[in-house]
Amino acid sequence: MFLEQLINGITQGSIYAIVALGYTLVFGVLDIINMAHGEIFMFGSFVGLLVVTKAGAPLPVAFLAAIVSTAAMGLLLERFALRPLRTRRGASHLASMISTIGVSILLENLAHKLFGAGNHLFETPFAEISFKIGPLTIYLVQVVILVISLLLMVGLALWLSRSRLGKALRATAENLETAGLLGVDTNRMITATVVIASAMGGVAGVLVGMAFNYINNQMGLSMGLKGLAIIIFGGMGSVYGAMAGGLILGLSETFMVAYGSSGYRDAIAFVLIIVVLLLKPQGLFGVAPAEAKR
Amino acid sequence: MEWLNPYHLQVASFVLINAILGVSIYVTLSTGQLSLGNAGFMSLGAYTAALLSTQHQVPIPVGILAGSLLAGVAGILVGIPALRLSGVYLAIATLGFGEVLRAVLINWESLTGGAVGVAAIPQMGRVILAWASDRGFSPESLGLQANQFISLTVFLILLFSTVLTVTFFLRLSRSRVGRAYAAIRLDESAAEAAGIPITYYKVLAFSQGALLSGFAGALFAHSTSYVSPGDFTYHRAVEILVFAVFGGSEHIFGPVFGAAFLTIMPEALRFISDYRYILYGVLLVAMMIFRPQGVIDPPLLRFFRRKRNGGAQ
Repeated sequence: MFLEQLINGITQGSIYAIVALGYTLVFGVLDIINMAHGEIFMFGSFVGLLVVTKAGAPLPVAFLAAIVSTAAMGLLLERFALRPLRTRRGASHLASMISTIGVSILLENLAHKLFGAGNHLFETPFAEISFKIGPLTIYLVQVVILVISLLLMVGLALWLSRSRLGKALRATAENLETAGLLGVDTNRMITATVVIASAMGGVAGVLVGMAFNYINNQMGLSMGLKGLAIIIFGGMGSVYGAMAGGLILGLSETFMVAYGSSGYRDAIAFVLIIVVLLLKPQGLFGVAPAEAKR
Repeated sequence: MEWLNPYHLQVASFVLINAILGVSIYVTLSTGQLSLGNAGFMSLGAYTAALLSTQHQVPIPVGILAGSLLAGVAGILVGIPALRLSGVYLAIATLGFGEVLRAVLINWESLTGGAVGVAAIPQMGRVILAWASDRGFSPESLGLQANQFISLTVFLILLFSTVLTVTFFLRLSRSRVGRAYAAIRLDESAAEAAGIPITYYKVLAFSQGALLSGFAGALFAHSTSYVSPGDFTYHRAVEILVFAVFGGSEHIFGPVFGAAFLTIMPEALRFISDYRYILYGVLLVAMMIFRPQGVIDPPLLRFFRRKRNGGAQ
């Protein structure tokens, strides 16, 4: 029924939004697309799974473990795959994109080696708990996912707009050199951005595990591609664009599956961006790039 | 003739197909457009050739030609709206084109066979052997076994196609068109101000790249005799880009070298099986740190040329 599909779509969309936020933060500050983000997200999911099933720990511990491990991966990614390129003259944006593609190939195969291929069951203790409001059935998992993603989005928006560190980050995103001249430790801000973005990927990983009940080492790719589509769709580097784009994509996918054909589900994201790019190349919430920046 | 085994020849054939794919992205890149849609164009060429020969008994060369041309036309159709985009936007939009095309291939089961793909595509080598055998030829007369002859024929056809492709674009780079490409790549506004019709040349380059990808796809279909949507995923698109970036995208030999090296390396590293793609990833990162312009760049080529000339004197 319509309302249930609406709730499904919003749940799905809020996970997409969190993945997309990881991309948009890094793009906003560094002007590069972090192609390894999808794989970091996948690792977060596996860490959460191992903590829940192998160690039998409660879900909050799984979130914590996923956050810590993906944050560490973000730190390593920035230190070894991005920073060396930044100090180098003549390294184009293409170079850092390829470098993150290298990391994504590395991580995907590492996951294959460590966790094996195929689906892993991600069981949560309250997967079956649901309650009825009138004719509506709502699963507790959906509520938890929604609450966590909302908290994360609001928290990030507040942190970016109000806190000192958030302002420094926005200044760095605005103009790296000027921010540096004004006393912002830009290297530290860049590291912080990549770490925060990766940790959000980790949270999204555990959320996906909860929502779909199974995970595999290929899921970083499909989620990563959707995340990319969303940031293009919502406007590169725009935090609100990523949130809105995620919700729109989640809703359109859910309704496509419910009322149309499920075969084209994974293509919707790209049909959306192709349409948006042709009508408004800078994305729904994007700002047209200044001529000087070309 | 032990070394001439079908395995070596097959790896060599994939090197050549990948080299054409590498050139296809190089051509588009040489006007500063980053396209990740080449896997999609490749699938167009491959499926066109495959379906024409399996369902309509069209001769292989005609099928290959039709596949390449269709991909080239699709390149024009995609290339014109793509003019509005640049950089990362163009990359993701063209990647999206490929993914949408793949979804169509999977879902249009009545035509494409869905996720299973098209099997029993006539293989170039087998067809030629059958044709020659009818006229009293036997591969034993050359000291070859039948499967050696088949692989060798495929290899030679691909070698000819690759040499033809590389020669054509090498000559093109020294022509009016090639100089226009270079001017657009260096500075689009300046090129436009100098009177170069950039719209025409950018769409031309895009379409040439698409045509080459379709050509490579059609050759691929008739070399492996089996195609499925799984052959044209995101991984393929990225692989093609990596050929050009790893090998060097400033000279046509760059992507050719990149394709050869990156196709042979995982095969040569079979003994460390599970770790080779991990190593591949590490190699890409290291490469971007130490030589972001790719292995082969104009200064390196000049160095070799000087050395050769110096030795001759």
